[in-house]
Amino acid sequence: MEHGRAMPHKETQLTMTALIELRNVTKDYGNFRALSNVDLTIRPGITGLLGPNGAGKSTLIKVLLGLVRITVGDGHVLGFSIRTSADQIRTHIGYMPEDDCYVHGLSGIESVQMIAQLSRFPATEALRRGHEILDFCGMGQERYRLVETYSTGMRQKLRFAMAIVHDPKLLILDEPTSGLDPEEREAMLNRIRILARQFAKSVILCTHILPDVQVVCDNVVILAGGSVRVSDSLDELCRMPNPSMTVTLSGNRDAYRDRLTAKGVQSEVMSLRQLRVFGEVAVLNEPLWSAATESGCIVRGLSPSKNSLEQIFLTAVREVQSANP
Amino acid sequence: MPIHNLGYREWKGELQSTSTRWFVVADIGIRRAWQSAWLRRMMFFAWVPGVVMGFMIFTYEQSAKQGGEVQDIMSAGAMAMVTYESPELIYRRIKQERILTGSRASIGEERHIFWSSLLLILFRRSQPFLLIPIVAVIAPPMISQDFRSRAFLLYFSRPLTKVQYIIGKAATISLYLLCVTMFPALLLYFVGVLLSPDISVLSATWDLPLRVILASFMIVIPCTALSLMLSSLTTESRYASFAWFAVWIFGHLTYVVIRSVANPGDSSMVQSLSLYETFNDLSSWILDPKLGVTHIETRFILLAVLTAVCTAVLYRRVSAPMEV
Repeated sequence: MEHGRAMPHKETQLTMTALIELRNVTKDYGNFRALSNVDLTIRPGITGLLGPNGAGKSTLIKVLLGLVRITVGDGHVLGFSIRTSADQIRTHIGYMPEDDCYVHGLSGIESVQMIAQLSRFPATEALRRGHEILDFCGMGQERYRLVETYSTGMRQKLRFAMAIVHDPKLLILDEPTSGLDPEEREAMLNRIRILARQFAKSVILCTHILPDVQVVCDNVVILAGGSVRVSDSLDELCRMPNPSMTVTLSGNRDAYRDRLTAKGVQSEVMSLRQLRVFGEVAVLNEPLWSAATESGCIVRGLSPSKNSLEQIFLTAVREVQSANP
Repeated sequence: MPIHNLGYREWKGELQSTSTRWFVVADIGIRRAWQSAWLRRMMFFAWVPGVVMGFMIFTYEQSAKQGGEVQDIMSAGAMAMVTYESPELIYRRIKQERILTGSRASIGEERHIFWSSLLLILFRRSQPFLLIPIVAVIAPPMISQDFRSRAFLLYFSRPLTKVQYIIGKAATISLYLLCVTMFPALLLYFVGVLLSPDISVLSATWDLPLRVILASFMIVIPCTALSLMLSSLTTESRYASFAWFAVWIFGHLTYVVIRSVANPGDSSMVQSLSLYETFNDLSSWILDPKLGVTHIETRFILLAVLTAVCTAVLYRRVSAPMEV
């Protein structure tokens, strides 16, 4: 018998700060190269995995789960080798597929129980745990109905329940919010946040919905053309190369801008009431307020300018597209 | 701690071994199959022949006290059903043998012949006609439905290997097939033992349960492999059902047509076209070697090759969805 919190092999414990480490991983399907020399390190927290269609996200997930054999390279997930310890990896990972998948002829609770048993839970414990997780996922009496009769949203919640029923250390969620109404989407993101913040679960969130990533993720990986284009923390990525601030005004915008120029602060017009002011926050603090007093303007808003995730995503993808026209 | 906690809780229990994961797949399969009312009806009828034959054994054993006449008639009847000869002819032959040898064969020997004849009737005359529709109900959706509902993503993202998945599916079909073949035959044997007036029945027929088990597995294993392979070839379970019936019906029809038209001297290869005839010959040879079934090695090789090919195709088909 093995305890629910099995530890990986000793030689890999040193690298436990990284949940996932891939080195030079290449995966070919016949003549088609799905992943090309992927070097990737994912640390604990919530990581958004982004990429256009055909970028290799699904293949990367299959590699992480040990479902496909890599052509070249090596890697570890939770300290277990993806080449030799696929069973161990799958015991400790919860995977929520994007596809609408279910076992025909089973009710919701039976499905969750079966998945728990396949994840090596004893039968009775699997049933108890199944009920508990379905409660957490907000599923009521519908758990006793056949899965075939479920709506899209209910199936989505069921797949999420199946992914977390065995209390995995790492969750891989493929499009967890697609097909959900706004209320359910918010609830789903909230569950992900609870698991990550309160129970220290690490999550890989594979999605096309960038606002979801912006709301919950700590790190972002952007995959395009089978290779990793961007991998960094969200804060770091969104930081502008030249620090600036967005000032929202009411009053004479041009007079305010003239005062700023007189104080040696560069700025540009963003809209009728908005200016982008260049410089570090600490340096800008004094001239911004004094210029407002002198020009008779009221500063309505002041926020550091950031790169949008959409901009970062498009830049990364276009780089690949221009390299492979 | 609240009585019913609606929040998430961590789990710190002990995990079970991975080697028994196939059992979960089998358990689900067995329960899903049992939901079919048709299957339940057929399973009920599968035991009826065994009950009828149990009554025959009872009559046979009771008549032993009143002399051999009734036994001779029943033996002739049972052997006629096995050998396709006239019961009257067999009865005369038994009588003639008595006159020539001047004595009855030992009661143990006669009993062995009668019991093995009954078991052969069970294997050849009644159970195949239930086995075929039962497999047609259980097996076709087994893998095809998993493909259609993409359930393989759920199965294989867990610590479950493809081999364990196949074993689990095969165990489901095998269990139901054993319920139609082996279990009624073994029950028939044990009922016979219980109804026999003396304990010598055990020494005379000890080999029959082993023969029943062997004959059952010779039928169940190829049938399971073939039916699962057909199920894995499509996402529409009805096509797998048609293919299953086609293999049995067209195979047998082809054999009958070739035999009646060409009348081949050595018909063992032609006979192999019919699964029904192949299984008949094998079970006859296993349950009563004295029946003189020839070319049995050809049948063994054929079934072994069929099972191996089906298993290889099945494994490839089950692996295929991951390679896209």
